[in-house]
Amino acid sequence: MFLEIFKFELAYRLKRPATYLYALILFLFTFLFVIYGNGPASEKTNINSPYAISQFVVVMTIFGMLVASAIMGVPIYRDIEHNTKNYYFSFPITERGYVLGRYFGSFVVLLGIMAVGMLGIVIGSLLGPIFNLADNTERFGPIRFRDYAYPFLLFVVPNMFLVGSIFFGLVAFSKQVFTTYAGSILLFIAYLLGSTLSQDLENKQLVNLLDPFGSYAYDTATKYWSPVEQNTLLAPLEGDLLTNRLIWFGVALLVFAFSVLRFSFPRFLAIKLGKKAKDEVESEKAPALASLPTPTPVFQVGAYVRQMFQQAGLEFRSIVRDPYFIAILLGAVLFLFLDGWFASETYGTPSLPTTYAMLEARNGTFFFFVLIVLIFYTGEVVHRDKVVHYDTIADALPVPDWMNYGAKLLSMTYVCLLLSTLIMVSGVLNQTIKGYFNYEFSLYFRDIYGIAFTQYFQLVMLAFFVHTMVNQKFVGHIVTLATYIVIWAVPQFAEFNYRLAIPFSGGTVQISDMNGFGHYLTALASFRLYWYAFGGMLLVLALWFWNRGADTAFKSRWQLAKQRMGRLSMVLFALALVVFVSMGAWIYTNVSVKNHYLSADQQRELQSTFEKKYHKYVDVLQPKITSAKLNVDVFPDEFKAVASGVFMIVNKGHQPIDSLHLTMPADNFHRQLSKFLIDGQAPKMILDDSDLGYYIYRLPKRMNPGDTAQMDMTVTGQYVGFSNAGDSRDVVSNGTFFNVGIFPGFGYDAGQELSSDKYRKKYSLPIKEWTAPAQTDSLGLRDFLFTDDADWVTFEGTISTTPDQTAIMPGQLLKTWTANGSDGKPRKYFQYKLPGFSDYFFSMCSARYGVKRDTWTGPDGKKVALEVYHHPGHDRNLDRFMASMKASLSYYTKNYAPFPYPVLRVLEFPRYASFAQSFPTTVPYSEEFGWVGDFHDPNKTDYAYYVTAHEVAHQWWGHQIMPSRTRGANQISETMAEYSALMVLKQRYGADAMPKFLKYSLDRYLRGRANEDKFEANMLDNDTRSYVWYQKGSMLMYALQDYIGEDRVNQAMNDYMKAARFRQKAPFTTSLEWYSFLKAATPDSLKPWLTDNFEKLTLYDNRITKAEAKSIGNGKYSVKLYIRTATEYYDKTGKELAKGKGPVIADIAVLTDDGKNKDGLTTKVPLLMQKRSLSPGEHIIEVTVKGKPVKAGIDPYNKLIDRVSDDNLVKVDVL
Amino acid sequence: MQLEIKDLSKTYSNGVRALKSVSLTIPQGMFGLLGPNGAGKSSLMRTIATLQEADSGSARLTGLPEGDLDVLTQKDAVRRVLGYLPQEFGVYPRVTAEAMLDHIASLKGIANSRERKEIVQGLLQKVNLYDVRKKNLGTYSGGMKQRFGIAQALIGTPRLIIVDEPTAGLDPAERNRFHNLLSEIGENTIVILSTHIVEDVTNLCSDMAIICLGEVVATGNPNDLVKDLTGKIWQKFVEKTEIDTYRKTHRVISTQLKGGKTRIHAYSDVPLADFDPVSPDLEDLYFAKITEKMEVTTV
Repeated sequence: MFLEIFKFELAYRLKRPATYLYALILFLFTFLFVIYGNGPASEKTNINSPYAISQFVVVMTIFGMLVASAIMGVPIYRDIEHNTKNYYFSFPITERGYVLGRYFGSFVVLLGIMAVGMLGIVIGSLLGPIFNLADNTERFGPIRFRDYAYPFLLFVVPNMFLVGSIFFGLVAFSKQVFTTYAGSILLFIAYLLGSTLSQDLENKQLVNLLDPFGSYAYDTATKYWSPVEQNTLLAPLEGDLLTNRLIWFGVALLVFAFSVLRFSFPRFLAIKLGKKAKDEVESEKAPALASLPTPTPVFQVGAYVRQMFQQAGLEFRSIVRDPYFIAILLGAVLFLFLDGWFASETYGTPSLPTTYAMLEARNGTFFFFVLIVLIFYTGEVVHRDKVVHYDTIADALPVPDWMNYGAKLLSMTYVCLLLSTLIMVSGVLNQTIKGYFNYEFSLYFRDIYGIAFTQYFQLVMLAFFVHTMVNQKFVGHIVTLATYIVIWAVPQFAEFNYRLAIPFSGGTVQISDMNGFGHYLTALASFRLYWYAFGGMLLVLALWFWNRGADTAFKSRWQLAKQRMGRLSMVLFALALVVFVSMGAWIYTNVSVKNHYLSADQQRELQSTFEKKYHKYVDVLQPKITSAKLNVDVFPDEFKAVASGVFMIVNKGHQPIDSLHLTMPADNFHRQLSKFLIDGQAPKMILDDSDLGYYIYRLPKRMNPGDTAQMDMTVTGQYVGFSNAGDSRDVVSNGTFFNVGIFPGFGYDAGQELSSDKYRKKYSLPIKEWTAPAQTDSLGLRDFLFTDDADWVTFEGTISTTPDQTAIMPGQLLKTWTANGSDGKPRKYFQYKLPGFSDYFFSMCSARYGVKRDTWTGPDGKKVALEVYHHPGHDRNLDRFMASMKASLSYYTKNYAPFPYPVLRVLEFPRYASFAQSFPTTVPYSEEFGWVGDFHDPNKTDYAYYVTAHEVAHQWWGHQIMPSRTRGANQISETMAEYSALMVLKQRYGADAMPKFLKYSLDRYLRGRANEDKFEANMLDNDTRSYVWYQKGSMLMYALQDYIGEDRVNQAMNDYMKAARFRQKAPFTTSLEWYSFLKAATPDSLKPWLTDNFEKLTLYDNRITKAEAKSIGNGKYSVKLYIRTATEYYDKTGKELAKGKGPVIADIAVLTDDGKNKDGLTTKVPLLMQKRSLSPGEHIIEVTVKGKPVKAGIDPYNKLIDRVSDDNLVKVDVL
Repeated sequence: MQLEIKDLSKTYSNGVRALKSVSLTIPQGMFGLLGPNGAGKSSLMRTIATLQEADSGSARLTGLPEGDLDVLTQKDAVRRVLGYLPQEFGVYPRVTAEAMLDHIASLKGIANSRERKEIVQGLLQKVNLYDVRKKNLGTYSGGMKQRFGIAQALIGTPRLIIVDEPTAGLDPAERNRFHNLLSEIGENTIVILSTHIVEDVTNLCSDMAIICLGEVVATGNPNDLVKDLTGKIWQKFVEKTEIDTYRKTHRVISTQLKGGKTRIHAYSDVPLADFDPVSPDLEDLYFAKITEKMEVTTV
């Protein structure tokens, strides 16, 4: 019995086109993804590495859930839908045979579809090297059966079994397909909630177990794998991954058993009662037909318009009363709400629910729901009359075609309005619950109706057109979906972003509190108009081919269309065409004529050409600037800046200099060098390559070593029209921020070369292992790390702006005045001067600022004026910035060196970039980075305090100590800034509050290393990897001060400061010099540790397996710890070289319950914390503590770089 | 006022010739259109109801106060005088009967909401749906839905009413009621009733046509047409096994079981041996005309 039904089910499925369609979609998805070379982050990991395949397959099973709901939901529903249940069950079949047969028939097909999806990876990997769409054929590794079989068995089978059983069971009991939809939404929510929870490292294990798909557990098991490991290993079936798989396979079995065992025909057949309208008994009060009024009918445009609105209302009500629609909408709102709730966390700390953050939530998962609604309900509306057979009545009614057509379009307009309005409803709800009452309704309205609504409606136009032309609901859905995919997914796979050619694109806007919609609006409006004209043409076409009447043959539709091509519709079409073409021309002019569009490929090609042509000049001696006197005029409303400078330049080399090499890349800021004089004379241009931005001028007079000259430059830069991307604006209406780089630089900058091995190979450039030269390179040693245009300079300057703004440059404000500019309009001028020396790195900012001021007084009585320039309204966290500046100044002055300037300021710039950057005396800080942080929960990282401390530390590390342009030099700047900030943070929040921070650093370092594109470099050599200079650096320096003492480290750094601070002459300082001070401060017992961590690539594998405690009276306990230690050395590619033989020095700790410090921050409370030197291997350590032991372990604060940080602590068993 | 159809032809894209040069003149009053399933009745109806293009031929509505109308090209004008009950139709399931009728009334140009309401209420009573007017149409039974269809076709005093298989799915009482309702329709209206139930035509129609395989095989007053058959229809009771033999030798137009035996009717201009003469009715006419075109086996 089972076999017959099973075979029937299989045969039935294999005859359904939908089966092949699902398989095809999955196949195309995986195939395109792979063949275009999308995959793991690291360039050194194969696109089809076992790691990547498994990861891809897990994601595929999550999307496969949708296929599962379509396949596993219907096998028994079919008998309800087609009303065959009434006689089918009268056949001599058993319930068990029926259910199992239907179940496994469908399940096998489902597995087959998933297997086809995996086949896409195989074919993609086979064809990848042939088609070479991925730019790197070497990334396609061998095809091994086990790489596919393993994830198939580990993820596909159990996951499909789970979701399949759930869907099957839901239909068997509810007898409604709708429930499978609800079920998949719930599972998806569970998965996404996991992603939210997993942001907090403390929840990792919970999430690993709760995720039904096993995705997080897999991620945890593999996240720190180096590229070599990713290419060879399969995730070991142990730990959370094993537990997760067992749990969920067990759940699947239970669900399966429950649905199959409980299935019974009578229950399945039972008729649902109620709801049917009861026919009435005969009533004889009917009036005569002739007695009814016979009004003269009205057939006028006005009446048609009224009818259209009425019909639209009817259609709209039909949509919103559809339970599916309600369910989708609920899901949409839920995600909108959650995305708003968890919007933009930084370092795990939430941001305030600002209106722009609430609005941006619509770009999250909500948008997928919008797509679903728009595709499916446009289909519903277009085909509704036909589907319910109302068309035979409606089409014969005396109304023009456009009435019904317009009504349907209008009803979808209502749907779009509804969707857009939800954004605001969810946002306001979010804000209210969080107690944030600054609702910016005007911003809401402009965004949701001006941008979101117009975006949704253009999708409707496309869907409406496709559904009308295709004229079959199901095919229409598929074609619309396919169209959307082609429009949006393919450009992403293929790195294609020319928006003029991507239908219905061009909708990105970044709202800033400082600058509103800013410069995005013109571009947005232009693209909207362009695509709306296109959509208009589609709509007229759709009207012509609108299906009315019974005849759907193309011949008849064409016949009808010809009748409909009346003058009005022709005029409309022509009008739309004219707008489309002229807007196209206008956009083209802006994007490609006024501005210079480059695709990602062209950009890289340009870089490679630049290198091929000009790399030969890399060592050409150029003069250095010694003083800069600037005059900068900012014109915020014109997106324009004019910068003039008088510079003194000196030949500091040993050869004469004949010519100046200037680089000024051509970009959309359209910089022009309008004045260029050397000692008052215009130098002769001997190379003018404006495409690549390379210029050579012959000096009027050769500069011999030691010669000086005066250089006058004026540069005008202006943004014109709009560019393709429409973003990255340095000069904006409110919140201008650019730097001295507006002037051309001297000489060839090798830092701008392509560094990726993949692209260097593509453009036949030699592989570039290092960006910076070695620590002994004399050319590297003669330059500063951040610019080779100058060493130390003196600086003063005047900056002007519109009268309502404040303009800021580094230095002390000497005076400010108002005068008319060259254009006759009043301008406000600000004059600044830096005392002493600084490096050549100056910011130029202008905005409508509010300011908070304070003063810091040093131990010697010296005063520093503190200023926080902020957007009015962003005033919640000003005290944090201020407090951090003070604490930092105190700590650094005491431990490193005096602060050389009389002023220190933090200022805000718009969120188009999200970083903070330290210029002498002045720290511009992104709007998104702290100003709107919500720090009320003391357990959330106070990153405003931390980042300010970091940036202020750069006033010493990077502005007083200036590293040379050599390998490892950036560790002196960034690692020391991190260390300094950690110390300030420790001073503020206490050492026991640090573990959380260290754990984040460890996690990011290990992930950064796993995603490495070239190879990992050690602390002394690393030149480009930020995970080394920030995360590894902060870990090591924290451990060092913990191991040898904070004072000792600071004393060493104080000595280093004395030796290297404001070093006037090359050779400038290197990582080796810095390291020598650290080394000198380290006692011999710890030297091996220092060598392992700074000079080698070393990971630890310390763990505790068990801890037992015995009360020995008096509140004392004897605790036994079962510990294992290991040191592992790695080569730069991530391959393990050897195990360490020397002892591991680490904390042995026994902790009691977590406590709270004075700020309410949860901290660990050690009963015992003791450094031990342990040989590699197993140890049983016995200690005595006073107080109740709760947890015990080794290196509990993660001071060491431990591969697995979660096994360092266990619960203590109290015997 | 009359509807003049000349040489109307239609071939579907799958090659089926639904209408072959159909010519008919349909006067005011009730006009019956008889034919077997697939004869082309619905194709003809849909063409007249503006829902389908014709390949060739013409259809004109003449004698209207506002002038003659070409049904094939002046679709909007035709729709303004049309009331159409399709053979198969549906409704928006989540809308009430009252709201839907009101909406259709407004689409038929009844702009005044008070009048519209009066008409809708009246028609709901006429088709006996008044008490369930607030229920969603999705909850209606087949018969209720059919009555709803009748009501919507009558909105706006149409002058050309086309009803396609209107009594399908109605029980006998409902059918009577429908007949009564049709008989109430004014004299100066063309009502085309398409059906395969001969009795409906007998009861209601003053004119009729029979179409078969896309061609008109008979047209005229039912009584006159039946009269022409007088003396040409013969009947005999035979065993079931003998039917095939008789089919070979006689022109058998219908067979019917009666009390265990089979009664056969045969057509002949001259008397048939062993057969009894029988006075012809409309059904005989129908079968006589149909069997000229195709084999019909009725058992």
